[in-house]
Amino acid sequence: MRRRLMAAAVAASGLVAAACGGSTTPTAPAAPITIGVSVSQTGDFSGDGKALIQGYDLWAQDENAKGGLLGHKITMKYVDDASSTQQVVTNYQNLITLDKVALVFGPFSSLLTIPASTVVARYNYAFPEPAGGGPHVFDRGLTNIFFVQPAAVEDNLVSYAQWLLSLPADQRPASAAYATQDDPFTQPQVDKAKSLLEAGGIKTAYYKVYPAETTDFTPIALQVANSKADAVILGTQLPDAVAFAKTFIQQQFNPKTIIETTGPDQGADYSGKLGANTEGIMVPAGWTADATAYGNDKFVSAFIAKYGGTSADISADAAEAYSVGQVVDEAATKAGSIDNAKLITTLHSGTYQTVQGPMSFDATGKPQGGVGVYIEQWQGGKAIFVYPASVAAAKPEYPKNTWK
Amino acid sequence: MTLVLEAAVLGVLTGGVYALMASGLTLIFGVMRIINVGHGALVVLGAYLSFAASRSLGMDPFVTLVITMPVMFVLGLVLQSVFIRPLKTDREALSVLVTYALALGIEGLLGYFFTANYVQLKAWYDTASFPIGDFRVTYVYVFGFLLCLAILGVMFLVLYHTTFGASIRATMLNRTAAQLIGIDVDRVSAVAFGIGMATAAAGGVVFGITTAFNPGSHYDLISRLLTIIVLGGLGSLRGAIVAALIMLVSEDITAVVISPVWASFVFFVILVLVLLFRPQGLYGVRVRERI
Amino acid sequence: MLQAGVLKIAGIIVLFAIALALPAIAPDPATTNIAVFTMMYVGLATAWNIMGGYTGYISLGHAGFFGFGSYTLGLLLAHLGVAAGYTPFLLVPVAGLATAVLALGIGWFALRTRAATFVIVTIAFMFMLQLLAENLVGLTGGGGGLGFPVPPWSGDYFNTPYYYAMLALATLALGISWRIRRSKFGLGLLAIRDDEDKALAVGVPTRAFKLTAFVVSAALVGMIGAVYGYYVTYIYPQFVVDPLIGISMVLMVFLGGLGTLSGPVLGALILEPAQLWLAYNYGASRLYLVLYAAVFLAVILVLPRGIVPSLTVLIERRRMRTPPAAPAPQQAVMP
Repeated sequence: MRRRLMAAAVAASGLVAAACGGSTTPTAPAAPITIGVSVSQTGDFSGDGKALIQGYDLWAQDENAKGGLLGHKITMKYVDDASSTQQVVTNYQNLITLDKVALVFGPFSSLLTIPASTVVARYNYAFPEPAGGGPHVFDRGLTNIFFVQPAAVEDNLVSYAQWLLSLPADQRPASAAYATQDDPFTQPQVDKAKSLLEAGGIKTAYYKVYPAETTDFTPIALQVANSKADAVILGTQLPDAVAFAKTFIQQQFNPKTIIETTGPDQGADYSGKLGANTEGIMVPAGWTADATAYGNDKFVSAFIAKYGGTSADISADAAEAYSVGQVVDEAATKAGSIDNAKLITTLHSGTYQTVQGPMSFDATGKPQGGVGVYIEQWQGGKAIFVYPASVAAAKPEYPKNTWK
Repeated sequence: MTLVLEAAVLGVLTGGVYALMASGLTLIFGVMRIINVGHGALVVLGAYLSFAASRSLGMDPFVTLVITMPVMFVLGLVLQSVFIRPLKTDREALSVLVTYALALGIEGLLGYFFTANYVQLKAWYDTASFPIGDFRVTYVYVFGFLLCLAILGVMFLVLYHTTFGASIRATMLNRTAAQLIGIDVDRVSAVAFGIGMATAAAGGVVFGITTAFNPGSHYDLISRLLTIIVLGGLGSLRGAIVAALIMLVSEDITAVVISPVWASFVFFVILVLVLLFRPQGLYGVRVRERI
Repeated sequence: MLQAGVLKIAGIIVLFAIALALPAIAPDPATTNIAVFTMMYVGLATAWNIMGGYTGYISLGHAGFFGFGSYTLGLLLAHLGVAAGYTPFLLVPVAGLATAVLALGIGWFALRTRAATFVIVTIAFMFMLQLLAENLVGLTGGGGGLGFPVPPWSGDYFNTPYYYAMLALATLALGISWRIRRSKFGLGLLAIRDDEDKALAVGVPTRAFKLTAFVVSAALVGMIGAVYGYYVTYIYPQFVVDPLIGISMVLMVFLGGLGTLSGPVLGALILEPAQLWLAYNYGASRLYLVLYAAVFLAVILVLPRGIVPSLTVLIERRRMRTPPAAPAPQQAVMP
């Protein structure tokens, strides 16, 4: 195994040298390469880790069917970071210096992306990543990070705020309740939505930030229910998204609208727990199975062919991982090489087409001027875009139906 | 005010679950003088066993206890004889490590068979609730609480009204003296561990219905369980129950009145305050013992 | 006997020389990365042993001090605007001092309890520290974490200064541990471990001694935590006040031999590279936890006193079995 990787490494570096020498794409089949990723296969983020692997694997399969990345057949190498800092740092060092992978992709969550990015930057590797978008990711002064999502994290709920404020005055919610984890992904979105909605005249009936390590969400959910707010905005990951919904059902609390920052976009992992009660719940999303973005229909059918299930079961994480691969493929084609330095320079300009829509990156790697993130809502057992009208597959269901 | 009342009721109901889990833990300590830091993992194991049984046999989670409690009891006998009994020297310290290794092993195996995705035990009535005054109480919490009361009641009956229970209590009081009067302390220890495991299975079901869990959930559980039994007094069943109720009610009221952020902090502050004035815990006995 | 003593000293010198020269012998970052974490645990295990091994008071909450040291250094660097590079290493002792003060407070309280209660109280304090780190958002950044300045060193060189920092701290811990063993203070600690009430009766100032051992142990752990934070460049409450780190250092001491000098070192040298390697290669199958636990259980049940004491006993027994070589009058070998 090691010998094959060594051979790949030698061949890859040979190719890089050749590319630097100014030659264009090689005509003979190029040597296979390995792309390394540290994924949370155990620990807190393991559910998302699994979806990431599905996306990356599907992309590698599609690429290899086309002849590989610039002719290089791809092997993906995954290592588990147990959702821990120590391990993620070790993993990327090992992948780059021991396994000598040609490229690396990012891990799950801003939490792990930040320490990983410093390591990757030391070796001047490009770091396209699907899931690290919290503000601190971009203020470390690094230039090799590329967050492959349609918008910066704090803008995720902007579409939702715009929609609420666009409703006629007699239908608009009078008050809103906010509860969020103190997570670098969920909190910035909720805070921004709160300031937009307050400016628009929607009273804040309740606002609470809770520790990410909380296990019993019932007291907080009870307080939200008690506030009798018309709109409920929750900064959650999957477990708390489900827990809040369940408590609302138990308490028979029926606000006019509910939106959760993650959870409802995780396909079967979410609907499996709530059944018919997913009806009407919203989530900010850049991607749904029905979206008409670049290559999405092929992605969805290939996904179902490889993993089974229905399109409603696909998690957004898988689409984000797939997008990372697409971006790297397009950048490599544009640069004519898979050399990391060239990729970094290339990615800072231009627009790249992905299943999440077109995207481009600013100097720090934040997505810019992008498509933005839309509102997705569960209707009849499927999650579809409902706002803005340009991408909507159906009108938003408002007020949300009562729990079953 | 309603909110505080609601939180208090919630605290009592969840306190019952923790009381059940803690009672097993404190019993194990009392009889064998070992700190079973793997107890959280055992609760999670119980929850997963019920999960598997209800998923493949289509049983209601509470009904699965008919299977899981005996299974866990026997497993307890085995684990105790294989891993705990051989420890002769440095018992307390080594037991921490052995039970921690067991917990890791269980976590690894569960992760292998069930993956690390969060799951939850489902019952067709798990979102049903009934109103009390201004707020609603969920049925599953009440069923869980009643189950805990029942099992704790049985435990008390066995401990105080049977001969075997008397031998357990004797071993808890003074292991050597118990041996001298002819009690088979090894058998008593094994059975006590089995009982502890069985209560963990029951606790696992209630825990699993009310909270989403995965193999890694045992860390949170064990820190709270250990705090509860120390507060109550190591080895005291009564103490474990009282402590669990105090802790959970305070935590839920704090979450609602002050902030969820400080709720778990209150847990530990109470422990620290009580230990300041009573280092042996609420119902513990001050013993002169070798470390 | 003299030969054994000379061999021992020679062995230590050779090991230390290898440790010093490691970055030159094996300069690739993957190895030095493992070396950094391994040396970190050598220091942690030795420091923990000063309390747990010598006094017999098992603290499962030392991870709290580890995290506290980390946050102290991070906050110092942020508020004093210290540039990345070698300077932050100079502030590590300050983190150690702060941790010592914290340990004084916690220890005063925790050491009023004994045995099993003490263990659990240390766990409680550790979780309190974690919660404080998580909730005092204005100070620590809460769940968002705290960043350290990142030195601009190249990928190949980066790990080396951290390795030497960890080596220095580990050597300091070993030096202190060795010195304590040969002092009256150390004798007092061992007396406490054997029978605290008798020690008290005989006149050993048990409370002062226990507290001192606790504080020294905590300060060392705090400094190591500070270097760790600087190395991974970004810390979060749950990963730096991490029960797993706390229990790993305990495991290593028990594996190597509680209360011995070389035991903790051996335990760390075996377990940490194994853990990193197992996680890297088998993490995916989730069975690495089971492997780890199995190795663990095997060692505890077969060698309950740890490797070093068991080996020592084995060697002693063999020596007793071979008859004296020279015809010259030999002293009877005492068991």
